Amino acid sequence: MSLPKPVMRGLLGKRLRFHAPIAVVLSIVAAVAFKYGVTEPRKQAYADFYKQYDAVKEFNAMREAGVFESVRPTGE
Amino acid sequence: MFRAVFRLSATGARSLARSRACYSAPLASRCYSHGRVETDEEFDSRWVTYFSKPDIDAWELRKGMNTLIGYDLVPEAKILDSALRACRRLNDMASAVRILEAVKDKAGPHKDIYPYLLQELQPTLSELGISTPEELGIDKL
Repeated sequence: MSLPKPVMRGLLGKRLRFHAPIAVVLSIVAAVAFKYGVTEPRKQAYADFYKQYDAVKEFNAMREAGVFESVRPTGE
Repeated sequence: MFRAVFRLSATGARSLARSRACYSAPLASRCYSHGRVETDEEFDSRWVTYFSKPDIDAWELRKGMNTLIGYDLVPEAKILDSALRACRRLNDMASAVRILEAVKDKAGPHKDIYPYLLQELQPTLSELGISTPEELGIDKL
């Protein structure tokens, strides 16, 4: 039983022509998924936090806790 | 008083105008905008001739094999036959076995190529008394 002649040329080229576009597409998908799965929610979380942020109130809370050296809590 | 003549570089314009889509061309072909692409048969004959040189030296054998292995193809049986005979002329059994190992490696995931080539080379291997890596037990790690 003699074996038929297989294809012996251009094997790597064929593989790359098949896999390279897939790799490019998957890379773009990965980048888009990271952007909308991670960075956008993160940016939104920061935005939401600071939308209602009262810097003065937070400062006074910290002051009363005595963590500053430049201003002591009211009452000392 | 001569006037200088300004003209666009002819070669520059020409190479921009003509570029051949080369991804369907055979191996080892450059994207020439001029010149013909070598056919598979011409490529094979060139390499058979290279290894058929009666007084080939060891360096040329190694150089030829390394160059051949660099191409995106598994060498044809007739090229390998010529290379194995060159090993015989050089009394280099080690290189002969190494050529078989290299060819198996070149086939990569295509497991049908190596058995086919052994089938085609069997007469040559028996004539020259070359053992395959499998027969020597050096194909396993």
